[in-house]
Amino acid sequence: MAESTSAKKHLETTLLVPALRKKHYAESLTQTAGQKTGWCSNGVPSEILDAFGINAVYVENYATVCASKRLSSGFCRAGERAGFSQDVCGYARILMGYLLGGAEAPEAPYGGLAKADFLLVNSYSCDSRMGWFATMQQTLDIPLFVLDAPYQPGGGCTEPAHMVYTESQLLELVSFLEEQTGRKLNKEQLRARIDLSRRSADIQTEIYEMRRAVPSPLSAGDAYTVVWPGMYMAGTRECDDFYARLRAEVNDRIANKIGVVPEEKFRLLWSGLPFWYNMALLNYFEDFGGVVAIENAYFRNEKSCPSQHPDPIKDMAITSTMRRHYAGDLEQRLQLTLDIVRDYSIDGVVLAYNPSCRLMYLLQPELKNALDRHGIPNVNIECDMADERTYSEGQIKTRLDAFIERMLALRK
Amino acid sequence: MIAAGVDIGSSTSKAVLIDEKGILSYSISPTGAESVNAARRVMDDVLDKAGIAAEAVSYVVATGYGRVIVPFADEALTELTCHARGAHFLFPDVRTILDMGGQDCKAIRCDSAGRLLNFVMNDKCAAGTGRFLELIARVLGLTLGELGEAALDAASAVTINSTCAVFAKSEVTSLIREGKDRRDVLAGLHSAIAVRVYNLLRGVGIEPQLTITGGIGKNKGVVREIEKRTKLKCLIAEEPQIVGALGAALFARDKLVKQE
Repeated sequence: MAESTSAKKHLETTLLVPALRKKHYAESLTQTAGQKTGWCSNGVPSEILDAFGINAVYVENYATVCASKRLSSGFCRAGERAGFSQDVCGYARILMGYLLGGAEAPEAPYGGLAKADFLLVNSYSCDSRMGWFATMQQTLDIPLFVLDAPYQPGGGCTEPAHMVYTESQLLELVSFLEEQTGRKLNKEQLRARIDLSRRSADIQTEIYEMRRAVPSPLSAGDAYTVVWPGMYMAGTRECDDFYARLRAEVNDRIANKIGVVPEEKFRLLWSGLPFWYNMALLNYFEDFGGVVAIENAYFRNEKSCPSQHPDPIKDMAITSTMRRHYAGDLEQRLQLTLDIVRDYSIDGVVLAYNPSCRLMYLLQPELKNALDRHGIPNVNIECDMADERTYSEGQIKTRLDAFIERMLALRK
Repeated sequence: MIAAGVDIGSSTSKAVLIDEKGILSYSISPTGAESVNAARRVMDDVLDKAGIAAEAVSYVVATGYGRVIVPFADEALTELTCHARGAHFLFPDVRTILDMGGQDCKAIRCDSAGRLLNFVMNDKCAAGTGRFLELIARVLGLTLGELGEAALDAASAVTINSTCAVFAKSEVTSLIREGKDRRDVLAGLHSAIAVRVYNLLRGVGIEPQLTITGGIGKNKGVVREIEKRTKLKCLIAEEPQIVGALGAALFARDKLVKQE
């Protein structure tokens, strides 16, 4: 395995995540008798899957694990040998390489994934994902359920029609899972999961708010790690405890003015996904007194709505489960990022251009134009989020160094 | 007070030696496989030319892709910052710089003090770079200098559709085989490069005056096409390849002035 280039973690709570992740993947390989395994995309509500006792495997996360362990080149090559173009999403190529690479694929991290009984994909935000899951369905010859999310210009579920449609989709998901597992949905259990999940999400929102502090108490290097329990353990006591602990640590750092760097000279926003095979790049600015104070991917600035209905499915449809904060329409995402620049006292923006992620890529040119109009320094770096063969150290460092020189010159 | 700037590029290495009055000497040499050796070679050369001992040089700033591996450098700065500074020193009214080097092209904007304001670089593509022109020169059996000169005599430029270095090479070969005039093909090629770099320039916003630095600044065919596109006269330094090293030397001299 290649040398690790993981981000330097500044918070003690962050250091708990690798063990949680390892345990999560180990448990997913030791299913209880009769337990079904579903391979899922992000956005498939884990609370519902948990209420059915389903062994949920989030494959996009597994792709990031492969990338962070510097195995993406081997898996991507295997995926490409199977016929997937280099223009296809890096996550998809990694998983297709994992599935079809055979002996030519690298050794799978965490001992591989539990064998899937069915596939679940959420249509929100990403069109590549739909084709990818359809291909996996053909490859594995197992059922696929598409949780179709309505396109919502302007953001969340504000239109009654959206809510009705979302509810119908969730009910179809429940029917599908009932058929696959031979079990009925345990609504009480779901209600408990939802309540806990919302509480954890609200703590996360609080932490995002707290990150406005100067000096930055928690930078992107930690943030891209601590987002993991909220994405893959939502609705569990462990997840809730994790964020309560993280909030306390961030609070403590703010109270004692403990920053990520000793003397904060400039604050950056990372726009787009990180390069999972080189998370240390997020710390690169720290030697120069810079800090990536915030990132717009996975960003949360709204608390969950209070419960709207006693029925948990109806409640989920009405409130927050399918509401998106970052993956809305372009105008909304653009404004959100500009608001972050203002609210988090950002001096400059790193635009991670990632051609294989159409969702993230589309925003960047528009954002660059807007930042230029507002006179906010910015730099483009073009790389895939998961395929490390696209990373060119010399080119990236030259851009970042020049950007840093510019940021420091502006301070003089 | 003697300061030096060393620019280790992908194709060539450059060094400039300056004192309070101005440039004492400069050197340009192919980088080759060993960047550290190239740095030593150009540094030794400027010292020889100026008749100065290495110990007399009080501060060295390195730049270019090899900036971090220059063993005798006191500081490293990017070529973007250094080209802005060097170009501004030579042409104080310059606000836009197009650095066309061996490996990449950079459009740079600077302010009235020569400070870097904004930049755009070509991404993972050799079109419009020195390497690309070297490839074409080899195909046509010309030197790099002859390449630009030949295009100036073109009757009408042939359209080159490919901007990818590899595909453009194939296209040029086919056009020559079809019997197209070499000068017309070259004019078309230079025009294709100009279109590409014009987009880079637009990315930073073109503000007069404009200068082209780097080795391609010596190619009259490319310069003419860029002037046509931008509708601006390009200022070309006597030796456009040393502008980055000159900027680095100026930063080194600043340091010494500050220390004094």
